Amino acid sequence: METYLWITSVWGIYLTAIVFFGGMAWRIYQWATTPKSPVRLGMFPKPKSGAGRFGKLLADTFIAPQSAKIEPTMWIFAMAFHVAALGAFVGHLRLIHEFPFLPEWLGEAGMNTFAAWSGSIAGILMLVGVLFWIVRRTFGPYKSLSVPEDYLLLFLLLGVVAMGDHMRFVYGGVVHAATYREWFLSLMTFKPEIPAELLASNVGVSLGTHMLFTDLLLMYFPFSKLVHAIGAFSSNLVRSE
Amino acid sequence: MDSTQLTTLTGVIDKKMNRQLKQYMDICARCAICKDACHQYVGTGDFKYLPARRAELIRQIYKKYFTKTGEFVPALYEARDPDENLLDELYDSTYACTGCRRCMYYCPFSIDTAWILSVAKAILIAAGKGNEMLGQLADAAIFKGDNAEMFNDVMVSGFEDIQEEVRAITGNPNSRVPVNKEGADILYVALAGAHSIRPAAVIFEEAGENWTISMFEAANYGFFYGDVEKARLITKRYIDEAKRLGVKEIVVPECGHAYRVAEFFYEAWSKEPMPFKISHILEKVDQYIKAGRITVDKGLIEGKVTYHDPCQLGRNGGKFEEPRDIVKAVTDNFVDLTPNRAEQWCCGGGGGIVAMEEFKDVRLASGIKKVEQLKASGASVLACPCENCRLQIEELNEIHELGLQVWQVIDLVVAAMPLKGTKPTHA
Repeated sequence: METYLWITSVWGIYLTAIVFFGGMAWRIYQWATTPKSPVRLGMFPKPKSGAGRFGKLLADTFIAPQSAKIEPTMWIFAMAFHVAALGAFVGHLRLIHEFPFLPEWLGEAGMNTFAAWSGSIAGILMLVGVLFWIVRRTFGPYKSLSVPEDYLLLFLLLGVVAMGDHMRFVYGGVVHAATYREWFLSLMTFKPEIPAELLASNVGVSLGTHMLFTDLLLMYFPFSKLVHAIGAFSSNLVRSE
Repeated sequence: MDSTQLTTLTGVIDKKMNRQLKQYMDICARCAICKDACHQYVGTGDFKYLPARRAELIRQIYKKYFTKTGEFVPALYEARDPDENLLDELYDSTYACTGCRRCMYYCPFSIDTAWILSVAKAILIAAGKGNEMLGQLADAAIFKGDNAEMFNDVMVSGFEDIQEEVRAITGNPNSRVPVNKEGADILYVALAGAHSIRPAAVIFEEAGENWTISMFEAANYGFFYGDVEKARLITKRYIDEAKRLGVKEIVVPECGHAYRVAEFFYEAWSKEPMPFKISHILEKVDQYIKAGRITVDKGLIEGKVTYHDPCQLGRNGGKFEEPRDIVKAVTDNFVDLTPNRAEQWCCGGGGGIVAMEEFKDVRLASGIKKVEQLKASGASVLACPCENCRLQIEELNEIHELGLQVWQVIDLVVAAMPLKGTKPTHA
């Protein structure tokens, strides 16, 4: 198990960081150095002012009101997934630093309860979102549109979320943020070590598998359609040109 | 496949590559939200008309020849060569597309499928599979530009006939259809056919406008065909005329794509700034009515009137309110279609599809949403600017027995003007 964790949750993370950040930089460089379309591709209604365009860009990218109007079900699930993913990301920041204020307000037990609830809700929403997408893609009338990349990404995402949920629901009361933080900070300071507490319980298997899927997902991220995470800003801005 | 052909076709993508195309290729999540946006997919349920699928064919080539991951693991993206199978499907999905960009409106990433399909058309043309009918119509227009003197006499006598008709309508023997008038303020670029000139002439003359007409029409089959050079040459014909006559402003007719070509595309094609103000005829008419330069009477138009936003004029041209204001000025009995403006359903007749007999079935099937909208409105008169929309809707009108009168907006205006002459009878 120790080897598994060293591969997935130490060296794998370093490799992933290099591939992910390098890949995203490469992707952005490629977009930035390709000349813009000579034709203005905007559509109407089109805000006249720069501020209006910026506001519309934010609304279109973060809320996608037009998509909500045409397929509300998809929008609700997609929105739930993305908001939950953002919540989960914010929650994971505890790996680097405990939140300010919150622990003082809530106390240690209160903080654990809060983390359990918020983490559980986010974890369930993400799981539901991924399952919905798998079903919609597999059984929808337009399933022929899907290519293996779509299923691969959903599979990796399902692995990340399922194992994250496993850690949350099975070991949430056993291993707390401080232990994970010890491990993660050791990575960030380039003195990697795996705390004995992670090895002692079976949480190591969950963590290792959670990280395995995360490594694979993030390494593939810059080369997959997931680059919509940054590309959507640019393409939505063009809508107002 | 043949390696020369392959180099040619991937070379087309390389030449057409730009940031927007690259991003559209990279970011589409294949979420298929566009499925309910496309009138052709909704009307036929045929997979090849799903907007994301149309784009996916180009993406399959792009992945294989323009990305490392697609080159190494093509199966992951179903990446493939632009072989006969791909090109055959691409032909259908590309030339059938009306370019309405309703899918772009609803796409969470605003992916412009029509822009992707402009590359598809370039690929098809390079493969010798461009639509023949559109290509021939484009070539005929370019031929007319190169041999203008051949057409001069017949056109001038045609304009004289129209001038007589205009005089009969206005009841004013001094009404004119000025041809090639140097020093005019406005060059009106009409469509081929008296129907787009006569009512415009009545309005310009009654408004006391210093206008002229010249020999070249605004319709652009090079644009529909997908050949930028042909499209540029066709537009250049009237740009050159405008320069020669020294006008200040070019006014394009009700036709939808003519406005978009002049206002949004020509600068990019010609790589020079547009030296004229470009206006749509309905912008001018709206100004004339609001400024009191022409008078319209409410009550001369009978029945409930509705208005269809042609995609190139509305969603893609931004002219939502001017035509509505005109219609509301000629009748108190106006009802809008639902949905309308940016969400307006494409009628199914745009993009040159009405000229291509082979797409008749999909074209008529794709009109079902428009038919439902028109029925639900309860209107008996439809004001519809775009020529292609009108051809399509008139055909739907007949097949579905809607009993609608389909009018050009400028015809509606002329019918509502208190003129001394005899009103033209409407179909």
